[in-house]
Amino acid sequence: MGALADITTIARWEVKKSFSMMSRDVLPLAIVLFVLLVAVTGFSTQTGLHLQDGMYRIGVDDPTMAQILAEDARFTVFQLPERDLIAQRGEFDILIINGYAYTGTASRSVAARKTLERDYAKYVGSVYNREEDLFAAYPLWIDTQSVKSELSFLATQSGQYVSAAPVRAALVPEGPVEQIATPSPTLSVTKEDLRGQLVQSNVENTQISRYTETLSSSTGTMDTFKTPSQLSPPLPFDSIILVFVFIFPLYFTSQFFMMSIMNERIERKGEILLSAPVKTASIIIGKMRPYLMGMLAICTALTLWIRASPLIILPLVPVIFFFLANALLIGMLSRSFKELSFISIFFSTVATSYLFFPSIFANVHVISLISPLTLIVLTLQGTAWTVTDYLYSTSLFWLTSAVLFYIAARNFKEERLFSEKGLVTRMREFLSEILSRKHPFLSLFLLTGFSIPFVFMVQMMCLVLFFNLPMPASLVFLLLFAALIEETAKGIGIYTVYIRDPGFLTWKNLILASGATAIGFLVGEKLLLFVTLAQISDSVFGSILFLSLGSLWLPLLLHFAGVLIVACCIKKWGAKGFVPGLALAMVVHCLYNLYFILGWFL
Amino acid sequence: MMAKHLSIIAEKEFRSLLSERTILLAILLQLFVALFSSFLMVGLTSMYDPSSLSKYSRFKYNVGYAGNESDLSRYLYASPDFRVFQMDLSTGVTALKERKLAAVIWVPDTAPDADAPIKVTLYTLQNDLQSAIVDVKLKDIFLRYEKDLREIRIDRLNEKPLPLRFPPASGGGDFYEFVYGLLIPLLIFMPAIIASALVIDLITEEYQHDTLETLVSTPVTFPEMVWGKVLACEILVPVQAAVWLVLLMINGIAIENAGLILLHVTISSFVLVLLGALTALHYRERTAAQFIFSTALVVVILFALSLPANPMNLLTRLAVGTAGAEQWAVLAAVLAVAGLLGYATQKYTERISRISHTG
Repeated sequence: MGALADITTIARWEVKKSFSMMSRDVLPLAIVLFVLLVAVTGFSTQTGLHLQDGMYRIGVDDPTMAQILAEDARFTVFQLPERDLIAQRGEFDILIINGYAYTGTASRSVAARKTLERDYAKYVGSVYNREEDLFAAYPLWIDTQSVKSELSFLATQSGQYVSAAPVRAALVPEGPVEQIATPSPTLSVTKEDLRGQLVQSNVENTQISRYTETLSSSTGTMDTFKTPSQLSPPLPFDSIILVFVFIFPLYFTSQFFMMSIMNERIERKGEILLSAPVKTASIIIGKMRPYLMGMLAICTALTLWIRASPLIILPLVPVIFFFLANALLIGMLSRSFKELSFISIFFSTVATSYLFFPSIFANVHVISLISPLTLIVLTLQGTAWTVTDYLYSTSLFWLTSAVLFYIAARNFKEERLFSEKGLVTRMREFLSEILSRKHPFLSLFLLTGFSIPFVFMVQMMCLVLFFNLPMPASLVFLLLFAALIEETAKGIGIYTVYIRDPGFLTWKNLILASGATAIGFLVGEKLLLFVTLAQISDSVFGSILFLSLGSLWLPLLLHFAGVLIVACCIKKWGAKGFVPGLALAMVVHCLYNLYFILGWFL
Repeated sequence: MMAKHLSIIAEKEFRSLLSERTILLAILLQLFVALFSSFLMVGLTSMYDPSSLSKYSRFKYNVGYAGNESDLSRYLYASPDFRVFQMDLSTGVTALKERKLAAVIWVPDTAPDADAPIKVTLYTLQNDLQSAIVDVKLKDIFLRYEKDLREIRIDRLNEKPLPLRFPPASGGGDFYEFVYGLLIPLLIFMPAIIASALVIDLITEEYQHDTLETLVSTPVTFPEMVWGKVLACEILVPVQAAVWLVLLMINGIAIENAGLILLHVTISSFVLVLLGALTALHYRERTAAQFIFSTALVVVILFALSLPANPMNLLTRLAVGTAGAEQWAVLAAVLAVAGLLGYATQKYTERISRISHTG
């Protein structure tokens, strides 16, 4: 009971402190700004965003066509007689004379042509949408039916690569043939409903969807009846915008939390709190509680506002914890405001892209489920998801937040909070704190095991970054960096132990430490695969895990060799040996990957 | 105001930025944003237009065809992308579930010139990359069939759209608007936003760490100190923007009027940095100042974007080479706002230092 009372007291202090600071003259101005924001948003939805105005110059001889094109601000339209157009043809990206478009080969002209084609298609659509006999204008309708294939999940699970390439196989189904009812040849929707849908998908093409219409001509119409031109995988664009509406307030609130932690450290103001007879966990939870409540309240209010299902909040909870855990650690780590700004901006950009990117593929690929936001997109679309889906997409966030909170709680004390050392040194000290002196091997095992979610996240980011490089380079970099990240995650524990106590690394301890680290890494890896893959099909999962047990010794050997190399280098050359050791271990790791995974050797 | 004092302050800030290596994080951040957004664009486009990924263009996908004969089956047989199998619907869907087919199409016996539309049923795998690719390839065939049917029913249409024919497509041009109309203004403007956030940190830090008195007890006056910090942040902007331009050019993206772009971004960023400085001077506390400033920033940028010929649009037009004389008017307007804010900053800092001297 005592802890709960402490938490409540500290939470009350925190609220009082931030309000006394805020209310001075922040609150009135914040309200004014918020009103302005709403006004400006309204204004910009009316006028549109003018970022791409006047990118192209187009010359037209027909006044009606000129009028149609002038609706798109990207074109500066010149309506001139044919003679003048030809005389000044160098001035224009496109000429339209007698219903024929003349385009150039310059990249601006090629791009202008694409835009013109899309605008023209939209115009033609708007004419057809008015037709009384809609089925003369749109004679073909496609009813899209999704079929669920169990096979692809089995294949991905056993580590098989399910490619987008077709299989050459005999065309007789192996399993029993299920009877499918013959589809009805008539549409179950009225003509006017279809017209409404067509008109809507034509109007939706506003400023923002300009970027998406490069991709698909229709935005997320989730109806199953489509005209051929609507037959692209729908981009859940509206839902993604809404997701941003949810994430931004979370980001702001976590900034306040970060700053509150930082403020305690300035001029050692937090010393009094630390010397109070209260557990550190209570201090952290107490300081965090108002922000947690605030975030939950904001999310609930937004959910009510957009009248969405309250289920949306469930996937947001781990995201909230993830933001708070990072905010706590960043607030504890950075030495100055500049550092705080840059680290927090960097963190939020990376986190937002990690959250945001997979959710775009919400309707296309299972992999999109690695982001909790996909669940939100699905909820907004009205698609159901299961408990296992939830575990799959949120497990990484729960895990990483828990680890970060633990690290922060262990380090929330005077000598860490008020030290003036460099960022890297401080990070090492933070790690050192969670490595127990009594059970060094156990803690190395746990540390490496719990580093796996972070390793996965960083590797995922590397994949994104190197994707931009040309093909052989991107593969090489990906291999090198994936190996480097893994080796760093494994080596960092031993390095920390060595810095703390150089005498610890006797040969016997070195072997034991390497072994503990290697096993920790392997177990973490397999456990994470368990969590992420188990959702796909529980029944077959067990057999797969034990199937691969036979080959477990190989990765174990690799992990062991990697750590051993790093450890030996540290033992031989001290702290200076860490970086060369990592480089060497990375090379070994890459060779292993090349040989065993890609099946070829240099 | 002495230039020497300004440069001393600016130099001090640069040194601390370098020693903390935080500027590295800022640069990494921008690199990440650039790479990430192009990853997004390239990745998405290849998903929706698989022909851009030559890897997938050489495959023949198996499709099952069930139901009645039509022109659609003729197109499918003629297509180099598909291998067509005539089969019973139930067998086809089962084969699809076993991934032996990429899609199954069922065609009813509606006549091409009937009153009712022709409703084709298309079965594909749920949440599958292959389905996405096959969808796009089938779309072309459906579009051709739709055109034929429309031709058959053309007498029933009341209104004909204005004709516009295009020469054969040469391909490419997909990323032009993204690169010039979004990426370039974003990248060029990001240093300005970072600089304005930085100036808040620099000023509030002096207040919250109580280092202000030590600093003002030196020959440097308070206004000089503020201007020195503004200068330090302001210098970073054209340098970073120039690096971006060079990087983009190395990547083969031609940018016209690079010099003018730098001039515009330097002056526009001055507005933001001064706004940041004023906010910081008013609140003297980071949380409040950053909060108010970032909200104000969103309002200002959103408002600017809703105006035609705004500075960011100007960057796009300069980069593609379609900017006209109106750029000078915009530049003059931005310069006037910057001058006004500069005057306000000077007066405000003078007042603050007078109060602290007398008080």
